[in-house]
Amino acid sequence: MNIVKQLMAIPGVIAAGEYAFRGDRFSYEGALTDEFARMASILCRANTLSVNMESEIFDSFAENCGCRPVQGWIAHGGQVTVCAVGNYFAFIENRPELLNDVMTIMRAKVGDVRDDLLVNLYARLGGDTKEALY
Amino acid sequence: MNLDKMMDLPGAMAAFTYSDIGDLQSHVLREGTELTPQVLDLLAHSCVANLAIARMEARGWEAVTGQSGFQPLKGFSVVGLEWSVVVNGNCGVVVRNRDADYEATFNALQAA
Repeated sequence: MNIVKQLMAIPGVIAAGEYAFRGDRFSYEGALTDEFARMASILCRANTLSVNMESEIFDSFAENCGCRPVQGWIAHGGQVTVCAVGNYFAFIENRPELLNDVMTIMRAKVGDVRDDLLVNLYARLGGDTKEALY
Repeated sequence: MNLDKMMDLPGAMAAFTYSDIGDLQSHVLREGTELTPQVLDLLAHSCVANLAIARMEARGWEAVTGQSGFQPLKGFSVVGLEWSVVVNGNCGVVVRNRDADYEATFNALQAA
């Protein structure tokens, strides 16, 4: 079972999806329209790149301090929380224990994000990602 | 703000407070951690930026999609390789990933 389907099987998960590096290729399940899923993919990609940039700055001050490479981020809203790990995202309700469960599953299923985030995000497109990027 | 209480959270490696512009104001570091006050200061500045961006996105998302529940923003976390920083308001906690309880940490920061 793929990661998105596994996440959607958990009660309280509103929507989940996967996006590619450019933010314009995505797949999703749940309570989003195609357009909203496209917007969510772009938003998640932008935030992921932003926090990675920040971690590179930390790393330049304290090498191997344990932050880099960033694995994901969480935006905790009033009733809804957005979780992003690697190139996957999930919109979840704020229910007891759900956030911890979803993060545990996403970290376990996505695996550790490798050093090169761009290659990691681009890899889902297939082909020679190194050649496509550089 | 009781930083010692924050250090009782599962996996807590550091707790800190910062000004509205991200200047580090107070901090507690667990002995043996590789984090330094300088890194915490940078972290605090990035946290202010991340909270502002997430707040803007929540506001924009609700306005564009008509969906609700994203506002008010009650915190933001960056999940690193070994540790995560969880922040809300003017306080943050760095927690070791393998022991992290994100819900408890968000709740503690909200109550602080």
